[in-house]
Amino acid sequence: MSEVAMKRKQKDKLLLDIIGYVVLIALALICIVPFVIILSSSFSDEEAIRMNGYTLIPSIFSTDAYRMIFKYPDDILQSYAVTITVTAIGTAVGLFLTAMTAYVLCRKDFKWRNHFAFYFFFTTLFSGGLVPWYLLIVNYLDMKNTLAALIIPSLVNVFYIMVMRAFLAGIPDAISESAKIDGAGDFRIFMSLILPLSKPALATVGLFLALGHWNDWYSALLFISDDKLMPLQYYLYQMLGNLDGMRKAMLGTGGVVDVNIPGENLKMAMTVVACGPILFAYPFIQKYFVQGLTIGAVKG
Amino acid sequence: MMKKKWGLALTSVLAASLILGACGNNGGNNEAASNNAGNKNGNASSSPAADDKIDTSEAVKLKMIMLGPKPADYDQVFGEINKQLQEKVNATVDAEFLDWSDWGQKYPLKFAAGEDFDLIYTSNWAQYNQQALKGGFLELTDDLLEKYMPQTWAAMPKVKWDQARINGKVYMVPGNQSTEFTDKLVLYRGDLLEKYKLQPIDSPETYKAYLEAVAKNEKGITPYGLEASDSKTHNLDKQLLLQKNGWNMLGDVPLAYKVDDPKGQVFNMYDTPEFKDLLAYYKELADNGGWSRNALTNKGDTTGDFKAGKVASMSHNISALGGIMAFVNNEHPEWKPTLADLSPDSKKSEAISTQNGIAVHATSKNAERALMVVDLLQNDKTLHDLIMYGIAGTHYEPVGDNQFTKVVDKFGNYNTFSNWAWNSPLNRVDTTFPQAAQDIQKKWGTQVYHYPLETFVFDNSKVLNEITNVGNVMLRYGVPLEYGLIPDTAKGLDTLQKQLKAAGIDKIHAELQSQIDAFLANQANKG
Amino acid sequence: MTERRHTFWRDIVKYRTLLFMISPAVLLILLFSYVPMAGIVIAFKQFDYKGGIFGSPWIGFDNFKFFFQSGDAWRVTRNTALYNIGFMVLGNVLQIASAILLFEVGGKWFRKLMQSALFLPYFISWVVVGSIAYNFFSYDVGTINSVLTSFGMERIDIYNTPSYWPYILLFFHTWKFLGYGTVMYLAAITAIDTEMYEAAEIDGANVFQRIMKVTVPNLAPTFIILMLLAVGNIFRGDFGMFYNMVGSNGMLFSATDVIDTFVFRLLMDTNDFGMSSAAGVYQSVLGFVTILTVNYAVRKYDKDRALF
Repeated sequence: MSEVAMKRKQKDKLLLDIIGYVVLIALALICIVPFVIILSSSFSDEEAIRMNGYTLIPSIFSTDAYRMIFKYPDDILQSYAVTITVTAIGTAVGLFLTAMTAYVLCRKDFKWRNHFAFYFFFTTLFSGGLVPWYLLIVNYLDMKNTLAALIIPSLVNVFYIMVMRAFLAGIPDAISESAKIDGAGDFRIFMSLILPLSKPALATVGLFLALGHWNDWYSALLFISDDKLMPLQYYLYQMLGNLDGMRKAMLGTGGVVDVNIPGENLKMAMTVVACGPILFAYPFIQKYFVQGLTIGAVKG
Repeated sequence: MMKKKWGLALTSVLAASLILGACGNNGGNNEAASNNAGNKNGNASSSPAADDKIDTSEAVKLKMIMLGPKPADYDQVFGEINKQLQEKVNATVDAEFLDWSDWGQKYPLKFAAGEDFDLIYTSNWAQYNQQALKGGFLELTDDLLEKYMPQTWAAMPKVKWDQARINGKVYMVPGNQSTEFTDKLVLYRGDLLEKYKLQPIDSPETYKAYLEAVAKNEKGITPYGLEASDSKTHNLDKQLLLQKNGWNMLGDVPLAYKVDDPKGQVFNMYDTPEFKDLLAYYKELADNGGWSRNALTNKGDTTGDFKAGKVASMSHNISALGGIMAFVNNEHPEWKPTLADLSPDSKKSEAISTQNGIAVHATSKNAERALMVVDLLQNDKTLHDLIMYGIAGTHYEPVGDNQFTKVVDKFGNYNTFSNWAWNSPLNRVDTTFPQAAQDIQKKWGTQVYHYPLETFVFDNSKVLNEITNVGNVMLRYGVPLEYGLIPDTAKGLDTLQKQLKAAGIDKIHAELQSQIDAFLANQANKG
Repeated sequence: MTERRHTFWRDIVKYRTLLFMISPAVLLILLFSYVPMAGIVIAFKQFDYKGGIFGSPWIGFDNFKFFFQSGDAWRVTRNTALYNIGFMVLGNVLQIASAILLFEVGGKWFRKLMQSALFLPYFISWVVVGSIAYNFFSYDVGTINSVLTSFGMERIDIYNTPSYWPYILLFFHTWKFLGYGTVMYLAAITAIDTEMYEAAEIDGANVFQRIMKVTVPNLAPTFIILMLLAVGNIFRGDFGMFYNMVGSNGMLFSATDVIDTFVFRLLMDTNDFGMSSAAGVYQSVLGFVTILTVNYAVRKYDKDRALF
C-alpha cells in the first residue's frame, strides 16, 4: 500500500473513530441517565420523591423500598428460583427447536419450505384471542398451576424462527452440500456443522428468548395462582398492584392508617430487582457477539 | 413482540385503581352501628344450623372468589371461620383471591372457562350486570333465599333486593348496610382558611374563594388535588352538578333525571344551563390555578399529597375523607383539616345496594350450602366479626359491641380484600373515625330522600355500541372542557354536543326513557 | 393424479429427516396457535356462558359496529400504521448505525460497556417510563419547564399540546428498543465473511466506502426480514407504551390514539369478549392484506428474500 493510501486510511479511520465515540457515548448517556434516576429513586425516601420529584442522587436516603420487597425473603427467593428454572429450560429447549426449524426453512432444496414458512408466519397475524387460549390451557391441557404452562406454550416463537432463518441464510450452501457428498445426514450436518458456525446468531436469539421468559408475567397472571410457582416479574407486578389497591382499600375503611406505604420508590426498586441478575449475567454471554467468527476460515 | 397479541386484553393496574376509587365507601358508619344495638339475633344460638329441615349431613367444601390480595394471615383467620362453619352448617370455605392489579381480566375468564367455584364477590363496579346478563350467576329466587338465608331474608329491606334486580331477577346477595352514602364532599385545611380570613366553606362560591386564595398565595401547594382515574366527568361534577341539583346520572352517560320528578323525565346534562354555568365556574378556577394543568395526566396519589401538605383540598366520600382527616389530625393538628358539604341542604341518596355483594356461580354444585354460609357471614355476630375484622386481640380490639380499634401493625395482615360483601348492621365503627365525619353522617341520615326510581336499573344491552362511543366522547371532548383546558368554552361545548349526537346519545336517551316509563307504569300498577 | 400422489410420497421419504426436524415446532404451533384460532368465531357471536364459544348465537358483523360508529375508525387506523412505520424506519436505521459504529470503534471493553448501556432501557417497563416522562414534562414541576423558566423562557404545556406527541413517542420507542436491535444487527455483522473486508481494502476503499459497500448490503437480509415481520403487525399498536405515556388524556387523543388504546377505552366498562375479538380480527385482516402485498412485491424483486 502506498504512503498516501496509508495516510488517507488513517485519516478516515480517525474520522470514523470521532463520529463513533461521540455518537455512541451520547446514545449511551441517554440510556444510562434514566437508569441512574431509577437507581437513585429506589434508594430515596417516598416523601422526598413526593416533594422533589426524581433526582440523580437521593435527597433523603432510604432502603424502605427494598425492605418492602424483601419483606418475605423466602417468597422472593422462591420466585427467583421459578424464573431461573423457566428461563433456563425455556431458553435451552426453545433455542434448539428454533435453530433446527430455521435451518430446515432455509434449506433451498427443501421443496415445501415456503409452505411451512407461511404456516408459521400466519400465526403472527391471526390469533384466537384470550378466551380460547385460556380454555385450551386450563380446561383441555389442564396446565393451570404448573411450570409447564409457563414454558411449553411459549417454547417456540415464530418471530425468532424467522430472525434465525435470516441469520442462517448467510451460511453458504456449499457447506451443507459438500458435507452431503461426504455422506452426512441432514441432522448431523445441522448438529456438527451449522450449530458451531452460527454461534453469534445462537447467542443473540438465545438472549432474546431468555429475556422473553425472564420478563413474562402475563402467562403467570393467567395460569398461576399457587404462591410457590410465582415467577419474579409477576410477584413484583402483583405486589405493586396490591399496594396500590391496599392504599385505596384502607382509605375506604376509614380510620387512621399509620403505615407509610412505599409507592414511587418501590416501583423503581422493582425495576432494579427484576433486571439485576440479567444485567449481571449479560457480560458473560456478550463475548459471543463481540468477537466475530470467520466463515472463510471454515470454508477454506 | 409476543405480548402485542394480548394488547386488547390488557386492562391495567390503573383500570383496577380507578374502580377502587369509585367504591371506597364501605366504611362502618355510625348509623349502622347504632341500629344493631337491638339487633343481635345473629348469634350462634339462634343459627339456622339447628334447623333440621335442611340436610347438611354431607360435608362440603366451597370455593369462593374474592377481590384483593390474599391476606398474610389467611390461614389463621379462615381456619377459625371454617371451624365455626363446619360446626354450624358442615361446610368449609376455600377462598381464591384475584389481585387488584389484574382481577378485571381474570374475573370474566373464570366464568368463560367454566371454572369450578361456588361464590364470587360482585358489585355494580365489578361486572355484576355484564356477568349476570351473560348467564354467569345463579338466579336467587325468593324461595331459595327464604329457605337457605332466613336471617338475611328477615334483616334485608326489600328495596335492597329490588335494587339488585336485573330484568326482574336477583343474582346477588347485596351487602346490608343500613345507611351508606356515595355522596361526596371536600376536605380542606382550616389553617389556610383562617390565614386568608375566608368564610367557612359551604357552597361552590366559598369553595372557589378558598381555592383561589391558595393558588394566589401558597406557592408549591396545589389548591385542588384530583383523584387519579379514568373518570369521564370532572372530579367535582358529582358535588357541583348532581348533588347540588338533585340529579341522578344513569349508566355512565351524561343522561340524568331529577330525583323528585315523578315522571322521571330524562335529560342530557350537557344541554342544561346548570352545566353551562358550571363550565364558566370551572374555567375561571382553571385559569386562576385552581388545579394543575396536568389534570388529565395526573399520575400522583392525591391522598398522599394531602397528607404531605402538597395539596390544599380534595374530594371523596365521607368514610375516605374521615380516615384521612383522622390521619392528619394525628400528624399535623395545626392544619385543622375540615370537612365541607358544598350543598348542605340538598336531598341525600343512599348508596344502592349493589355497591357490594356476593353471587353464586351458575354452575355451583352446592348453591344451597353456599347461601347458608353467606347468611351466617352476614348475620352471625362471631362469624361476621371474623370475616370483617379478623381475630379479636390480634387484628383488632373490639370496643363494646359496635366499635373497634385497629391493631396498627396487624390489621393490614388480614384486611386486604373485598370482605365488604358482608357489610351488615353488625358492622363495627372505628373508634378513631372523627366525630366531625360522624356528625355529618348523622345529619345526612335525616336528609335521606326515597323516590320511585331508586330501584331502577338501566339495561344497556340494546345500546351497547352507543354507550361505548358516548363514553369515549366524554373522555375526549367533555373532560378537557371541564378542566378548563379548551380556550373557548362555548365552542368546546358545541363540539361536545355535536360529537355526542354523532356517537348516538339520542338513541340511548330514547331507550332509557322508554325503560323508565315502563318501570314507572309497572310500579303504578303494583302500587 | 396417481402420478402426483406418487411424487408426494416419494418427497416425504426424500425429506424425512428435514420433516422430522421441523415437526416439533409444527406441532407446538398447531396446538398453541391454530387450535385456539377457532375462537375467532367469537367475533361473530353473541357470547354467553351457557353456549360457550361454539354454542352461542351468531350475530354476523354486529360486534364490529361499535368500532365504526363514531367515525374515528379511520383516524386511529391511520395513526396506528403511521406510528409503526415511524418506529420501524427510525428504529432500524439507528440500530444499524449503532451496530456498525460499535463494530468499528473502540476496544473490547468499550464495546461491552456500550452494549450493556444501550440495553438498559429495554428493562424499564412502560409504567416506569411513563412516570419518568411525567417528571420531565409536567407543567408545574417538570424538569424541562424548570430549565426553561430558569432561562427566563415561557413554560411549554406538553401534556395539553398534541403536536409534540408524535416526536415524544417516537423518541421513547426508539430509545427503548435501541439496544435490542443493535444486538441483532451486531450478530449479523459478525457473521460477515472477513475475506470481503480484506478484498475491499485491497481495492483501496476507505472505511466509509467499505461500510457502505460491504457491511450495509450484508445487513440487508436481516433488515428485510425484520421489516416484513413488522409489516404484518403494522395495525397493532404497542398498548403498554401508549397507555402508560398518554393514559386517558383526552387533549392528546387526536395525535396519540391507536387502535388498541381506542378499543380499550371503548370497551373499558363493557368488557365484551365478542367486541374485543372483533377489533382483533379487524387488525389481523388488515395486517394480512398488507403483508401479502408487500411479500408479493419482495418476491418479485428477489425470491429468496421473501418471507414465504
